[in-house]
Amino acid sequence: MRKECRRKIGKSFDFLVLASIAIQQLVLPASRANAFPIYAQQAYKNPREANGRIVCANCHLAAKTVELEAPQSILPDQVFETTVKIPYDTSKKQILGSGKKGGLNVGAVLVLPEGFKLAPKDKLSAELKSKIASVYITPYSPTLENILVVGPVAGEKNQEIHFPILAPNPETDKRVHFFKYPLYVGGNRGRGQVYPDGQKTNNNQYLSSVSGKVVNIEINEKTGTKVSVQDTNGNNSEQLIPAGLDLLISKSDIIRVDQPLTADPNVGGFGQTDKEIVLQNPTRIYGYVAFAFVTMLTQVLLVVKKKQFEKVQAAEMNF
Amino acid sequence: MSVIKKPDLTNPVLRAKLAKGMGHNYYGEPAWPNDLLYIFPVVILGTFALVIGLSVLEPSALGEKADPFATPLEILPEWYFFPTFNLLRVLPNKLLGVLAMASVPAGLLTVPFIENINNFQNPFRRPIASAVFLFGTFVAIWLGIGACLPINKAITLGLF
Repeated sequence: MRKECRRKIGKSFDFLVLASIAIQQLVLPASRANAFPIYAQQAYKNPREANGRIVCANCHLAAKTVELEAPQSILPDQVFETTVKIPYDTSKKQILGSGKKGGLNVGAVLVLPEGFKLAPKDKLSAELKSKIASVYITPYSPTLENILVVGPVAGEKNQEIHFPILAPNPETDKRVHFFKYPLYVGGNRGRGQVYPDGQKTNNNQYLSSVSGKVVNIEINEKTGTKVSVQDTNGNNSEQLIPAGLDLLISKSDIIRVDQPLTADPNVGGFGQTDKEIVLQNPTRIYGYVAFAFVTMLTQVLLVVKKKQFEKVQAAEMNF
Repeated sequence: MSVIKKPDLTNPVLRAKLAKGMGHNYYGEPAWPNDLLYIFPVVILGTFALVIGLSVLEPSALGEKADPFATPLEILPEWYFFPTFNLLRVLPNKLLGVLAMASVPAGLLTVPFIENINNFQNPFRRPIASAVFLFGTFVAIWLGIGACLPINKAITLGLF
């Protein structure tokens, strides 16, 4: 019965993930190589590798900064907010899969400690609800509820992505203890540079594969630019550059192997950071407050006693 | 205010000590019991309260499980090995690198013998030893910063 229930939940999660991907595909039709977490979800069981790297970095090669804001400590069953900041220059445009220019998308993955999960809608405050209205947060996979994924979403309005999170209770969840836990976050802006199969996307600088003289450049808006190069032996070779990239070479230029043929179109990048958060036990706080109060009382009494004894010393002239 | 004992300047023993820059325990606030019995426990308890407060509010994290098969992305030794680590990775020849590392304690060994005919203790009056110390500290910090940077900036720190 329980298993069946869990399977049903799993299925509904699958449906949600599929639905969200379908929505993304509909909204952003031209961007096959967008920051699709589905690539990571298909290929990696856990998006955080054993050496600490988040797998998004395998496709989003450029390194950019990302910030994470979270409370210093939280209580069990508390809903709290973490904010991922993905800053970038909004005046920049990136190359889309079609070769056209467009705005950047952002996405984020938040790796929470085991037991932490996305806060259910009915537990959110009105303020938090309005903050997260523009993004759709999904768990990484049905089994990993503690890893949350957002994106790709339009970058202009979502340079700060808010995650409402429900803290676990160690009394009901035996996997969790009153500890300090790490939060890992990865944030990305712009399109990826490598497909999961290892192929480069058009969001890359194209280098010359041969040395020689450029004899012909054939520009086609749809299929891309064909560059013909003749080497010193008179052999012609052709290289296809996807449409939309800015060429750095012109006809009859002499080029060398690995000389860039196009400007680097990539303006995005991926960054990861982490932060620590304390799952605090309220009774410890009460205990500490009581202890601190007793300590202060003792200190005051010691000083008072000293003052009294000084009077005795002064009266007896014995010091 | 607190009880202050005045120095008894008629006492020749105290006068002799004061002349040598000593004997300050002969006057002022008595250590026992005013300080030792009453103020020391105040300070000790205050320290306890602060340390316990830190451990309650900001416990130390457990860190990740050890995994011998996971090589960290950036391999760095403990921070106090940064300068020698940088020497080792910058020098092209391994033997040269090891010799450079070994020369660090060898150089430290010479420090007591540099200027040992100099009778002064004051560092300002030991110019060679002080200069060696300052130069060594500067180089160590410089190389230590370089160890955290990519190899092409390991020596220049990207400044030149």
